[in-house]
Amino acid sequence: MTWILARLLRAYRVIISPLYGQVCRYYPSCSAYALEAVETHGALRGTWLAARRLLRCHPWATGGVDPVPPAVHRRGEACSTS
Amino acid sequence: MFDFLGSIGGAIMTPLYYFVSAIMLAWHWLFEQIGMDSGSGWTWALSIVGLTVTVRAMLIPLFVKQIKSSRNMQLIQPQLQELRKKYGHDRERFAQEQMKLFQETGTNPFSSCMPLLLQMPIFFALFRMIERASRLGAEGAKGFLSGDQAESLRDAEWLGGRIADTFISSEHLETKIIAMAMVIIMCATQFLTQKQLMAKNMPPEALNGPFAQQQKLLLYVLPIVFAVSGVAFPLGVLVYWTTSNLWTMGQQFWVIRNNPAPGTPAFKAKQERDRAKGKIVAEDPVEQAKAQQAEAERIKRQQPKRMTREQRRKSGGASKPKQSPKEDS
Repeated sequence: MTWILARLLRAYRVIISPLYGQVCRYYPSCSAYALEAVETHGALRGTWLAARRLLRCHPWATGGVDPVPPAVHRRGEACSTS
Repeated sequence: MFDFLGSIGGAIMTPLYYFVSAIMLAWHWLFEQIGMDSGSGWTWALSIVGLTVTVRAMLIPLFVKQIKSSRNMQLIQPQLQELRKKYGHDRERFAQEQMKLFQETGTNPFSSCMPLLLQMPIFFALFRMIERASRLGAEGAKGFLSGDQAESLRDAEWLGGRIADTFISSEHLETKIIAMAMVIIMCATQFLTQKQLMAKNMPPEALNGPFAQQQKLLLYVLPIVFAVSGVAFPLGVLVYWTTSNLWTMGQQFWVIRNNPAPGTPAFKAKQERDRAKGKIVAEDPVEQAKAQQAEAERIKRQQPKRMTREQRRKSGGASKPKQSPKEDS
């Protein structure tokens, strides 16, 4: 599953992303973030993190540097993304 | 697992079918009122154009917000210039530092992923709606589309081709020709948009280096993407896509004309236009920053170096600052 998602994300980044140029207000960009999140946290948590990032990426957000949280095994700590 | 994902997808798509069909049918009704034939391909094609225009018009507030938040770009140009000098060779690092600066100053020239994220499902819903109508007829009707309307959409002929057919599925030569023509228009609009952005609204320094490389690659990748999707999508979807591309081009033209990035040919052009009209001409912050820097360097070179009397005597006057000891400089 993780592999399929990563594959899809890579395909998106190669084929569809270039159509729009840079639109993302964050570094790394949403799709790069999603790819990294899925690769480091697995399909489920990776998707969750990516979905939250996508919701954060709107014109009222200031954007900026927002890396994928590092893999932490305890639950409580990992969720504190701000 | 995949059933589960499928039902999530269905739950997301169902409201979208209603949304897309409502807008499309509203336009269709409007065109009927002005005397167009309800089963005509032109009516359906124009309804799809209407859908695109409506969707893009709904996104205008996002666009305005983006323009506003990029307005302060002019104020942070000197800092940006410095970053470019410092990290210009390292694209990743530069992107990161640039974003940090945007975050600190609350200025961001990018539109965010939201407009894209909103448009993609709409595009997909339209694709599914047309594709189902074409394959299943009345039974494939989705959203507000009635069975009769689905059949009307399936049978609608436009310029001799069929609006619900794809390049691959159709045996009509006309459909194939129209599909190819639209692929060419899409390539052309995308190319022009890209080119306009690069030629007019980018500082010359950004045009060489890895960024330009990527842009060049794009010019080859895009026609392939368009060609591949052009053969697989029904004409109706291509109409949506082409209109959307044209809108993007127009929108960008407007931005370059009215809100050009400082330090670019577009900014100079706007200054000249303003001057001709007798308006107040905004100074180019990038040029100002460059001038200030040059001025600062000139002054720095004139600065006399501190020397002891002993050194001055040795060097034969204060006119040779190069011989001054290292620790003083």
